[in-house]
Amino acid sequence: MPTKLLSELKSKEKGKIAKVGGGGSIHRRLLDMGLVSGSEIEVERVAPLGDPMQVRIKGYHLTLRKEEAANIQVEVI
Amino acid sequence: MNREEILRAQEKSLAHLRSVYREDAETVIADARYGFISGLLTEAMRKPAIERRTISDLIDKVLINRWLGIPIFLALLYGVFQFTFTVSVPLMDWIDEGFGWFADQATTISPEWLGSFIGDGIFGGLGSVLVFVPPIFLLFLALAFLEDCGYLARAAFVMDRLMHRIGLHGRSFIPMMLGFGCNVPAIMATRTIENPKDRLTTILINPFMSCGARLPIYILFAGAFFTAHQGLVVFSMYAMGIILAIIMGLVFRKTLLRGPSGHFVMELPPYRLPTITGLVVHMWERGKVFLVRAGTIIFAAVVLIWLLDYTGALEPIGRAIAPIFSPAGFGQWQAAVALVFGLLAKEVVIGTFGTLFTGAEELGGLGDVIGFDLGWTALIAFAFMAMTLIYVPCMAVIGTIRRETNSWKWTVFVIGYTLVLGWIVATLIYQIGSLFT
Amino acid sequence: MRMAKEITIALAGNPNSGKTTVFNNLTGARQHVGNWPGVTVEKKEGTCRYQGYAIKVVDLPGVYSFTAYSIDEVVARNFVVEEKPDAVVDIVDASNLERNLYLAVQLMEMGTRLIVALNMMDQAESRGYKIDVPQLSYLLDVPVVPMVANRNRGTQELLEEIVKMADGEVQPRKFRLDYGREVEEEIAKLEELISQDDELSQRYSPRWLAVKLLEGDEEVVKTLRATKE
Ligand SMILES: Nc1nc2c(ncn2[C@@H]2O[C@H](COP(=O)(O)OP(=O)(O)OP(=O)(O)O)[C@@H](O)[C@H]2O)c(=O)[nH]1
Ligand SMILES: [Mg+2]
Repeated sequence: MPTKLLSELKSKEKGKIAKVGGGGSIHRRLLDMGLVSGSEIEVERVAPLGDPMQVRIKGYHLTLRKEEAANIQVEVI
Repeated sequence: MNREEILRAQEKSLAHLRSVYREDAETVIADARYGFISGLLTEAMRKPAIERRTISDLIDKVLINRWLGIPIFLALLYGVFQFTFTVSVPLMDWIDEGFGWFADQATTISPEWLGSFIGDGIFGGLGSVLVFVPPIFLLFLALAFLEDCGYLARAAFVMDRLMHRIGLHGRSFIPMMLGFGCNVPAIMATRTIENPKDRLTTILINPFMSCGARLPIYILFAGAFFTAHQGLVVFSMYAMGIILAIIMGLVFRKTLLRGPSGHFVMELPPYRLPTITGLVVHMWERGKVFLVRAGTIIFAAVVLIWLLDYTGALEPIGRAIAPIFSPAGFGQWQAAVALVFGLLAKEVVIGTFGTLFTGAEELGGLGDVIGFDLGWTALIAFAFMAMTLIYVPCMAVIGTIRRETNSWKWTVFVIGYTLVLGWIVATLIYQIGSLFT
Repeated sequence: MRMAKEITIALAGNPNSGKTTVFNNLTGARQHVGNWPGVTVEKKEGTCRYQGYAIKVVDLPGVYSFTAYSIDEVVARNFVVEEKPDAVVDIVDASNLERNLYLAVQLMEMGTRLIVALNMMDQAESRGYKIDVPQLSYLLDVPVVPMVANRNRGTQELLEEIVKMADGEVQPRKFRLDYGREVEEEIAKLEELISQDDELSQRYSPRWLAVKLLEGDEEVVKTLRATKE
């Protein structure tokens, strides 16, 4: 399976989270919000100015900057 | 020592687990918790095979659309003010006439000082402020709608990029929007911002968001001096505040509060149709603060102003300060007094004029009377509006800044820099404007 | 006249899950409610009388976990972790159950007396989610009360559960999540050390503290450093 960074995914692309990197508080914040490996994730849209992005995870909508999304590896499906 | 032993053991365990899992223990733990939850939910919950697209999702397709997101955001802001403005004007006229009638009746009261107190002080001073109950309440109503429907988080999403550019945060945008209601809760709302420098910057620029108490000032002067473009002029004050907030945010982030800004990870709640009761309760809770202030601090200020004026002590005070504002065009002692007492609460600026200029005049013309008696032009009125927007936030906000920053240094800093900035902007407006007129 | 028995309950939960709405329903207060995460930023207290109890209700800022980052989150964490209310009502958004239960699991691990208020049932239903409430309660081994707080539904049932818990009818059961052999071994080692410290093990559940240490929770590390005699 090809993995990509979440920040590289285009709108409407889906995948499964393979790994959540990043250190310190951002890492734990992402885990707390349900971005754990194995979870399905879909990019819903990108904000009008190109950043942040909106994703769907565990049935809810989350927004995060591409900078933060670059910590997340996704197996694209 | 046992505690040190525990901490040492912690480090050993963490290193060991990292070598086994090639991942931090916290990840393993979070995975296990979520694993437990999804196992449990397969037994306790059934979801439809394909997630239903909700109405909320459809609304987002339009409202935060790649192309429409920003125009819609601007249109919504404009809509809020247009709504406030259009709906409130007839209501204000009505209240205005009521107070005018009472003020007229008061002139017949004897002794003369009591008639003056009731006519000029109460109905003139306090009345001139209370006339603005409709726009303030309607503004609160419109903001309550934005808060309850779920758009606020979307605004933060749409604006994050821009905020990031100035070294801030989408999260900072929510307190900015709340500031249009009142800066006190807005500054409190910064507590959710993790990064201390992000938070402090957001606090420092919040006073530039025109609160409900400044709206009366804008409406009064825009109504009197810009009859043709009232709405536009009022809106330009809000815009000026936003632009100043952005510029100052950038300046602070580049100088006093340098450093990286925090993460932006935020959930978007579903849209909800606000209930009428919910909206009315919101409007009332926030509006009540305004009424209470009118009954206490504004009332006290107006009485004090009336007393000082009646005894002839007010004018010398004003005259001592007024020259400072001459370069900005409003170097009259009445304006100086209004600005000084406006430190208590911004509505008092109007209350002061109301007390000083009622006489037997009908209140509706307060703005016109100011223009006539002080010889103000539209340009001076505009500079004065800018001054009231920028200079020193009201006492309640200063108290909140002190509490939230836990620092007198920053509190004094806010007072100082807003005062200087207000003077500079007002002076620039007047001086540059004078070149063209 | 019998004196009212006093108990303190905390309303905890993810941001925007309806905590303040429930608080207002319970206490008759009119604290600010809004549809965005982070409305409540300080703890608010109110009281409510029910069946001979004077219940002190504490509304807390929303948190996603008990690892605190911002000022409002620290307030919520410290109240639950350090001040230990008699019971915690976790207001859970039923339409977003998976993520919301993450906090519930942490509360269970702490050994708090927990009631799960399954709020926003209307929203879950409109999305077609079918939640088996008795089953959920059975699997979690805590009382679960379905609610629609903005229409004041379920308030009575929640009060019943609170009183039952205060009467000692519902005992909190020991909850233990299995983290896998390797992690469990490390937990056991740390737990052993913590148990030797009387003060620590009286204030916190040793297992919970051990897990928190493995999560690298800075607040916990700080507590350990600070209370060093
Ligand atoms: N549909 C629906 N909406 C609800 C329900 N309960 C609360 N709400 C709405 O959910 C939103 C959030 O409610 P709050 O009570 O402010 O949530 P909170 O948990 O206190 O939020 P924070 O203080 O930000 O952590 C508001 O718009 C409420 O009207 C419910 O049962 N169903
Ligand atoms: Mg709340």
